[in-house]
Amino acid sequence: MVLKVFRWSPGSRERLQKYWVKALQGMTVLDALVELQRNSDATLAFRYACRVGMCGSCAMVVNGRERWACRTLLSNLDRGPVTVRPLYQFPLIRDLVVDMAPIKNKMLEMKAVFVPGRRAMDGDGFALIGSRTRERRAIDAAIECIGCGMCVSACTMVSHDPRFPGPAALNRVFTLQRDSRDGAHADRSQAVLAEDVLTRCHGQANCTAVCPMEISPTDSILALRRRAVLRLFGIGPR
Amino acid sequence: MSARRAEPVRDRKMLTRRMGSAEAWRDTKVGMWAWLLQRVAAIGLVAVIAAHLKNPFARPVQAALLALVLFHGLLGVRAILLDFGLPARWHRLLFLLALLVGVAAFAAIWRWRWY
Repeated sequence: MVLKVFRWSPGSRERLQKYWVKALQGMTVLDALVELQRNSDATLAFRYACRVGMCGSCAMVVNGRERWACRTLLSNLDRGPVTVRPLYQFPLIRDLVVDMAPIKNKMLEMKAVFVPGRRAMDGDGFALIGSRTRERRAIDAAIECIGCGMCVSACTMVSHDPRFPGPAALNRVFTLQRDSRDGAHADRSQAVLAEDVLTRCHGQANCTAVCPMEISPTDSILALRRRAVLRLFGIGPR
Repeated sequence: MSARRAEPVRDRKMLTRRMGSAEAWRDTKVGMWAWLLQRVAAIGLVAVIAAHLKNPFARPVQAALLALVLFHGLLGVRAILLDFGLPARWHRLLFLLALLVGVAAFAAIWRWRWY
C-alpha cells in the first residue's frame, strides 16, 4: 500500500512523500507510520501516546478526513494512495506534528476555566453533582472532550474566521455555564456574546461528524445560543 | 472586562482545507452541503426573481422560482428546528426530509396549475 505523507520542517518546502508499506491484517495508520519510522525513514515526525484510541494525540487528516491514526485500519481505507496530513488550523511544528496551543488559548480567551462560586463547597468539602441529576445529564457527553483538536480542524468557520473560538472551546464553555458550582457565568456570557463567537457557528456539524468521543459541539453551541437569546428577552439563566 | 486575546497564529505555517482540491471535497459532510446549497439557492433566487419581475409569465422562470423558494425555505426550516433544540444528530435526516418534502411540494404545486 502506498502512503503519501505530508513532510515539512521549518526552513524547508512542504511536500507529500511517497512510502510503500506492506499492509498486514489489522494494521492501523499509526502502525504503518511507526513501521516507516523504524525501517524506512527515521526523520519522519508524528505524535502518539496511548496507541489504543484513548488519548487523542495521534489525531491527523487521513484521506481528507480527521481521524485518530491508531483507530484507523488501513483495510478500511481506499486501496489507492492513502494521504496523511497534519490537522488543519493548527500551527505546524514538523511533518505531522502540530502545536495544540490554540485550543488552550481559545479556552482562556472564552474564560472557559472553572472558577469556584458560592455553591462550589458544601459542608463536607467540594460540592458533588449526582450522576443522575438533570444538571449532570445535560453536560454528560460534553465533559468527555479530551482536546484532540479534530473538531477544530474540521470546522470550516475556524478557517474562515481566526477569531472564532471553535467547537472545542465553546463546548467547554457550555459545560461550565451549566455547572452550578461555577462562579463566572456572567463573565463568560459576556465573552461569548462577542460578534465572532456564537453567531459565527453556521451549524454545519462537521465537528460533530468527526468527534471520536461522540460529543456534539454543535448541540453545545446551539444551547449556548438559545440561552443568549433568552437572556435578550430577560428570561432564562446566564 | 475585555476577553483575553491569544497570540496570533496566522503568521505561523498552518494547513487549511484547500477547497480547490478533490481531497477537500471528498469528505464534505451532509451539514456542510445543506449550508452550502442553501446559500447557493439564495444567490439563485436573486437572479430568478429579477427574471421573474421582467416576465412573470415565463414558465421556466416560474418553475425555477418555485424550486428555489422551496429548497431555500425548507433548508431554512431545518436550520430553525435545529436552533430550537432538535438534536444535531438528526441533521442528516432533516436534510433528507427537506429535499423530499421540497420535491413532493414542487410536484404537487406544479400539477395544480392555479391559473
